[in-house]
Amino acid sequence: MKFVGEHLLPGQLGHFFAILAFVASMVATVAYYNVVKSKDPAAQDSWKRLARWSFIIQSAAVIAVFSCLYYILYNHYFEYKYAWRNTSRDLPVYYLLSSLWSDQEGSFLLWSIWNSILGIILIRTSKKWEAPVMTTFSLAQFIMASMLLGIFVLGYKVGSNPFMLLREAPENQLAPIFQTPDYMQHIHDGNGLNVTLQNYWMVIHPPILFLGFASMIIPFAFAFAGIWTRDYTGWVKPVQPWGLFAIMLLGTGIMMGAAWAYESLNFGGYWAWDPVENASLVPWLTMVAGVHTLLAYKATGHSLKSTIFFFFISYVLILYSSFLTKSGVLGDTSVHSFTDMGMTAQLLFAMLVFTIPSITLLIIRRKDIPSVKKEENSYSREFWLFVGSLILLIAAIQITFTTSIPVWNKLLSAFGLKSLFNMNDIAPPSDSIFHYNKIQIWIAIVLGVLTAIVQFMRYKDTPRGMITKKLALPTLVSLLLTGLVAWKGTITYDTYGAGFLTAIYLMLFASIYAIVGNVTYIFTGLKGKLKNAGASVAHIGFGMVLLGVLISSSKMEIISLDRMKMLNDGFFRKESKQNPRENIMLPRDVPVQMGDYHVTYGGDSVAQGDPKTYYKVHYEKKDRQTGKITEKFTLYPDAFVNRKENAISSNPASRHYLTRDIFTYVSAAPNKEEEAKADTTPYITHEMKQGDSVFFSKGFIVLKGLNTKPESRNYVAQSGDLAVGAELEVFTQTDDHFKLQPVYFIRDSSYQYSVEDTLAPLGLNVRFSKIMPAENKIELKVKEAAGFSDYIVMKAMIFPYINVLWLGILITIFGTAMSIYQKVRRR
Amino acid sequence: MKKTNIILLVVIAVAIGVIVTMVGDFSTYETFATAREKEGKEFHVIGKLDTLQAMNYDPIKDANLFSFYVHDKTGESHKVIFYGAKPTDFEKAESIVLTGKMEGSEFHCSKILMKCPSKYKDDQVAVSNKQL
Repeated sequence: MKFVGEHLLPGQLGHFFAILAFVASMVATVAYYNVVKSKDPAAQDSWKRLARWSFIIQSAAVIAVFSCLYYILYNHYFEYKYAWRNTSRDLPVYYLLSSLWSDQEGSFLLWSIWNSILGIILIRTSKKWEAPVMTTFSLAQFIMASMLLGIFVLGYKVGSNPFMLLREAPENQLAPIFQTPDYMQHIHDGNGLNVTLQNYWMVIHPPILFLGFASMIIPFAFAFAGIWTRDYTGWVKPVQPWGLFAIMLLGTGIMMGAAWAYESLNFGGYWAWDPVENASLVPWLTMVAGVHTLLAYKATGHSLKSTIFFFFISYVLILYSSFLTKSGVLGDTSVHSFTDMGMTAQLLFAMLVFTIPSITLLIIRRKDIPSVKKEENSYSREFWLFVGSLILLIAAIQITFTTSIPVWNKLLSAFGLKSLFNMNDIAPPSDSIFHYNKIQIWIAIVLGVLTAIVQFMRYKDTPRGMITKKLALPTLVSLLLTGLVAWKGTITYDTYGAGFLTAIYLMLFASIYAIVGNVTYIFTGLKGKLKNAGASVAHIGFGMVLLGVLISSSKMEIISLDRMKMLNDGFFRKESKQNPRENIMLPRDVPVQMGDYHVTYGGDSVAQGDPKTYYKVHYEKKDRQTGKITEKFTLYPDAFVNRKENAISSNPASRHYLTRDIFTYVSAAPNKEEEAKADTTPYITHEMKQGDSVFFSKGFIVLKGLNTKPESRNYVAQSGDLAVGAELEVFTQTDDHFKLQPVYFIRDSSYQYSVEDTLAPLGLNVRFSKIMPAENKIELKVKEAAGFSDYIVMKAMIFPYINVLWLGILITIFGTAMSIYQKVRRR
Repeated sequence: MKKTNIILLVVIAVAIGVIVTMVGDFSTYETFATAREKEGKEFHVIGKLDTLQAMNYDPIKDANLFSFYVHDKTGESHKVIFYGAKPTDFEKAESIVLTGKMEGSEFHCSKILMKCPSKYKDDQVAVSNKQL
């Protein structure tokens, strides 16, 4: 069959480039491998030329695939499943990019592009390490390219082709619409982008996160190159800035995701220990550990093996995280994982291809890796760097262990253990946030204290008295500050008992200690030389992150508590803990007290060309004594409202202060049209001439005239219809002014119909029921919904000192960047 | 024995200790019947919305009370009470994972995880009345 109206060229080109990338990366892998293996310099040179060219070709091909896909999305070619599934015509152009990486294929593509760019940089800069490092890179690109193939090999589907046509999708092949050649005439619009992804963070968070993912391969590739070529130490120097680069970018990417979660507030804050968040945090933790043991190695020769281990495991964990999120295995436990696309085995394969050779080689050649026979001194910096890294590893193990629950279930049943012991599936902890918090808080405490102290130690050995002398001042200051914050801040988070509150106080001290300790170190240790202060600055930022997390979480306050209802049913009974009554109903124009504020819902509004409904919420703060208004502002939380399914998807609005944020968020709103229809109030009949008016409780309606070519959203004209619309104008007491047009028509010369028009904000329904030509009058039936209510259900909360967290993140990023600059310059 | 080894042993011991305490937190997927046997403890129940019975959310009366009926995988249907606003797109959920406990014949849940097929794209939404 020949289909009409399809644009096949961009798709065919894109698929061609995907295959080209696959082949070229394969050639690059083999060629680079041969550069490493061959002994003859002439052969090496020719292999290297081939390898470089194939890597450049694959990079160009990957970018071409990306461009083709973007071209398809930009031009709304809905014959492609990717465009149909992730975009729609009304989607703003700047969200096309978030559509592009909202699906698995797009995210692989993004990852692949970053790999290519980093690869080209390494070709130019890594000199003698080029061949072994780029072998790993090319292999990674080969695997990445295979994810975009979408071809069947021996009955097994390899990859998923982003250029698949809608009619070729397995679920659509039999659909009747695709049996007609001109099916494109019926596909006017796409499915659209998931509304929670229509956020500017979703335009920039994925590229940064994937750059972080991609850069994690560099330390892995260098470490592997070192073991592989038996040059166990030479790779350390070039890798150091890259390790820092990887933690900086991955950290930034993760925290941008947190900022998105915070702003769209779908998960109740910036961090919810969701499996997807955890999966990308864990490799960050191990890479941070690796970067620190690397420092120890460079200064003293200790910890080389652990460094290699951390670099290996970090990339393996990156691959594991993409396995978790993309294979669909997280299914029942995560909010935002992808669904299974039948690529589980392929993703698992990708992980094992990197895990098995690296770990095996590390074990086989462990004896050859140089190490220092003498033990680390307990008063040395390298010893505590090592200890700190192990603490990070424990954090990583704990998070991975719980996040992997669905994997344990799969493994247990795969080995038949489940039926053997008659076990049920294990479920995640029912209070998962506390589950993580209660363990990670202790890790944070130890890390905070180590961050404060270890910089003051010297490598190899520190004179005994020196640490005490140098630490005395920062310790005292931190204790004082902690006492001050505890006293003034009234942290009384006792939901989980006194033990947890103690931990909170300890963490408060640890985070303040980390900040104060590192500030002191810049002045006493480095004598104020800011050039070398990158690490200290980053550590100050880290301390602030800990502090911000601690304060904003333990002092987060929900102000929209429904206190009325608390009184009638058992706020003090045992349900109270699970019934926090965090939503409050706000009737229109009735002020309700919330925390320090009087809050009034002032109605909703929509604007032309904007799919969202905005809800006006006025906040007023009054002085307790005088009753004078001290502060006044209006927030506009909005929501995508789907009238048909009565579903809203809301976005919060917030008021930012230096010391806190106030969030307002609509959790439910009545469907006014539906409510008006379900109303059983009788219609009142009026006979009207042109120019006549009728009154209703909120104003009056004027009949302006009749229209023989009526247009109404509920009426589609058919040939042979005799249709008349009544042009009505509605004036209200509040000087608002609306137009209505109910339609009356006769179809097939005998059946009479009347199409009602409604005015939702006033609850007004008007029906054009009869024409009386003899009297030159028409009959209108008017109904006003009784007890019509306009309200919203709202949630409002205060996040105090959240800016400490964001500022801490910025400072950490800045400090790391300083370190990178310093390391690169010194080289 | 080298100090590094001692520390490694300590770390392993701590890790094992942590994991053991963690396993105690792990929950299980239950049906209404098995959850009732252990009344008062929190479980996860996977089920489908029972569309024959009415769901009830009247924010004018109480904005924090949402009740509905769910079939678990054995087909048993029970009333479920969620103390919070009705989640968006609840009707469209293909399957629901509830976290909570049985109280009498009602299941009181503190968290709802829904799997919603929006056309054929599976998106999941979680709603909880617990906070960070």
